Amino acid sequence: MESGPFLGEFEHLVLLAVARLEGAGYGVTIRREIERRAGRAAAIGAVYATLERLEAKGYVSSRLGEPTAERGGRARRHFRLEPAGAAALARSRRVLDRMWEGVELEPRPGAS
Amino acid sequence: MRARPPRLAERLLAWSAPAEHRDAMLGDLAEEFARDVLPALGAVRARRWYWRQALGSVRHNLASRVRRLPARGVGRASPQPGTHPRRHPHERKGDGLMQSLAQDVRHTLRLIRRAPGFALVVVLTLALGIAANTVSFSAVDGLVLRPYPFPELDRLVGVGTMYPRLGGELSYWENLSAPEYLDIREQSRTLTGVVAWDMGNRQLSGGDAPLNVFSAFWWGDAFPTLGIRPHLGRGFSQAEIERGEAVAIISYRLWVTRFGADSSVVGRAILVNGKPHTVVGVMPPRAAIYGTDLWLPMGWDPRALPRQRRQFQVIARLAPGATLDQANAELETIARRVEHLHGAERPEYAGWKMIAATWTEASARFAKPAAFVLLGAVGFVLLLVCVNVAGLLLARGAGRRREMAVRVALGATRGRVLRQLLTESVLLSALGGVAGLGLAVFGVRALSRLIAGLPIRVAGDVTLNGRVLAVAALVTLVAGVLFGLVPALHAARADIQGMLKSDGPGTTASRSRQRLQRVFLAAEVALSLVLLAGGGLLVNSLVRMSRVDPGFDTSNVLTMRLTLPWERYDGEAVIRFFDRLTQSVAALPGVRSAAAGTQFPPISFSSGELRIEGREFAEGDALPTALLTVAGPGYFETLGLPLLRGRTFTERDVAGAPLVAVINEPAARRYFPGEDPIGKRLGVARGDAWFEIVGVVGAAANRGVDVPPEPEVFASARQLPGTSNQFFLLIRTEVEPRGILPAVREAVRSLDPQQPVYMIQTVKEAFAARAAPRRIAAVALTLFAIFALALATMGVYGVAAYAVSDRTAEIGVRMALGAGRREVHRLIARQALLPVTIGAVVGLAGAVALGRLLSGLLFQVRSGDPLTLAVVTLTLAGAALAASWLPARRAARLDVVRAIRG
Repeated sequence: MESGPFLGEFEHLVLLAVARLEGAGYGVTIRREIERRAGRAAAIGAVYATLERLEAKGYVSSRLGEPTAERGGRARRHFRLEPAGAAALARSRRVLDRMWEGVELEPRPGAS
Repeated sequence: MRARPPRLAERLLAWSAPAEHRDAMLGDLAEEFARDVLPALGAVRARRWYWRQALGSVRHNLASRVRRLPARGVGRASPQPGTHPRRHPHERKGDGLMQSLAQDVRHTLRLIRRAPGFALVVVLTLALGIAANTVSFSAVDGLVLRPYPFPELDRLVGVGTMYPRLGGELSYWENLSAPEYLDIREQSRTLTGVVAWDMGNRQLSGGDAPLNVFSAFWWGDAFPTLGIRPHLGRGFSQAEIERGEAVAIISYRLWVTRFGADSSVVGRAILVNGKPHTVVGVMPPRAAIYGTDLWLPMGWDPRALPRQRRQFQVIARLAPGATLDQANAELETIARRVEHLHGAERPEYAGWKMIAATWTEASARFAKPAAFVLLGAVGFVLLLVCVNVAGLLLARGAGRRREMAVRVALGATRGRVLRQLLTESVLLSALGGVAGLGLAVFGVRALSRLIAGLPIRVAGDVTLNGRVLAVAALVTLVAGVLFGLVPALHAARADIQGMLKSDGPGTTASRSRQRLQRVFLAAEVALSLVLLAGGGLLVNSLVRMSRVDPGFDTSNVLTMRLTLPWERYDGEAVIRFFDRLTQSVAALPGVRSAAAGTQFPPISFSSGELRIEGREFAEGDALPTALLTVAGPGYFETLGLPLLRGRTFTERDVAGAPLVAVINEPAARRYFPGEDPIGKRLGVARGDAWFEIVGVVGAAANRGVDVPPEPEVFASARQLPGTSNQFFLLIRTEVEPRGILPAVREAVRSLDPQQPVYMIQTVKEAFAARAAPRRIAAVALTLFAIFALALATMGVYGVAAYAVSDRTAEIGVRMALGAGRREVHRLIARQALLPVTIGAVVGLAGAVALGRLLSGLLFQVRSGDPLTLAVVTLTLAGAALAASWLPARRAARLDVVRAIRG
């Protein structure tokens, strides 16, 4: 049996985006990653709200970068996957894989 | 120039974002905007993109801020990293206060859309209740509590008087003489700005038609006493008052209607009774007290007038720091001083009192009982509305047991469910309040028009003002919380398992709800019965009043008043004018006879002290008083007052001949008990002449039918030229009396084209106007009672119908076991009628207790009148039986098999 809380769907997406960006994740890139790969347009507020929750759970950590002129003198906040986050992702995947085992939704070629 | 993100959107985002992420979030959007979005989409679409981002984020930002509130503010330990704070599943998306409130409101609107009938009944019931309250409060506020627009109304006082030897009635009206006014003005330290005034009629000529203007005559400048400034010009100077100069102040209303709001009117001359008067000022709007459109200096030296000529009113302001009690103590000292100085020559001073009251109180004295009955009644109506709506919500709560149970089972706290239900009730009451306010606006307008059309002079106006709006808003909110609370508490306390398990009868929840529903029903019945009893008592009083014999035939008598200007008519000319007028009017087709008189039943205002020849009154005895009427030829015949003894006035009773008087039967009975009054001699206190009594006429309801006829002494106008220049013209017709008015006007015009007529009314209308406060109270209370009865009937139906649906299976079993239709019918009826009985008993007790408050408005009916109470109780019982009959019949006709299956 798997133990520990499950990830919500959007949490799952955000956490995966952080993992994919391997330390280069911040608001803009995380949002774009989700948009490109999952086809989901997410509001920046929703992304931060979720990141905050993930950080509170210890799945991600963040640090402030340098302010730039392009950003109106505001600093970036970079997010990195923590071991607990990685474990949660792995756990979710295992659970989903097990649930998928033997499920066939699309008709097999040749059948019918 | 490079486009930059929209400033307002940025500010919105900055405002909503949690402090921790604010910079990062704004920076991210700024970076993306400048680097990617702007080059790809162009300035306009890029800005639109930014707005979408900002608006889409606000909700999340606020939610995550609210989520962190308890951890920060209330001092609860912040969640440890790695631990998952417990949260109810359906609240995962954030249970922020604002968000949940929005959820509740959305949910409520959805419910309203789904069951518009229920919402409509609730909102309409509330709207009617709130409208009734707002209109009634507007009326009482505008007419009784604050009829005048003057500042510091509680320091503006009138001085009333009471003469124990003249009947001991407290009066604030034509109650003081000029020397008494001077006593107050010169001796009082607690009152300042003491002014006296009188009222009368003046003609304003110079326009298209002569206008009769109700006027006030002043000793003193009224503006500082009333606490207002003239709209234009100034008040009267002391010199103008003392010398009685030809100056005038006109009302704002007159200024607008007659002078086209032309400011150059100040300084111009207007014709008052044909004599030029210089306008020195214009009153501000609404300052025309008692509808006086023209103010003039009194024109007499107050020192020259006798003490017994009491025809003035005194108003004043409490001196700074003085209280009403201090003023009254001082007035008592002054009264005793006057009694000591003048008691020998004026016996009515024995024990007399001067009593100051706020002017509002003094002038609204007679309207007050009716006003407070009205307010009490609408209070009951609102209470009833709340109980009724609570009952509706409770019954509806029954249908939503499962919804609530599911919510609680899914982890909603009781507080959360309570909040949802309260949101619903407050929202419904707000809708009811808005609808009620809309109704009230119409109601107030209608009432204002109604009052403007009344034949009586009313101070103040009915308007929907800020205070009234505040009261309406308060009432709405209180109603919302009040009627939402009980069902909400009930639903929140409900037992989940029971609710989830079964919808059927016998569960704790269902039983306690039914109990509550019956308590509500009993309360509704009790409240309705109180209102019904009040309405019944007042209607009963009106019926009894209509049965009182006024002592003469009141139908087909048209009356109007004419005031002949002193400037053009001396005493003899007045008599001649009215003789010619009555002759020419009597000759008109459709007129049986016409006469003149200074007053007529029920409009009798002139009264005074009598002297009776050979009669001395011991100290402490009541002095004789009577209504004093000056009558022209044909007065008794035109009114139809029956002659009981002797004769009425004849051609021989002219000036110079021995003075004669006719008295009415109450005067004969009171002042000449067991004697024949014919040949006895009377005097009126003002003069020293003696009048020989030549006749006795029957009693007429000279002060209205609700009080016994007062002693009245009639003198012949022909013998007393110069006593009065204003007479009523009384016309007995054979046709509809108002129909001859044009011909009468023409008759007046042919005698004097400058002479206006006013106060045109039939005798019947005059009686109706006197009964108006009672009638208004009766009509209002009856309307409220009918509304209450309708609500209570709905309540009975609701309880019975619910009992049927709740006990369908039980009824089926009973019928299967052999119960007949009659038993089933009785079973259901009993469910509804037991609370009705309990409510009726409580209501009857309340009606008897509260009936005493009505006693001032009742006529020949006791507040506990058994007949009235029996009739209203039976009415209510009949309505309750009828309302329970339909559901009971449905129960009795249930198909047994289907009933058992449920």
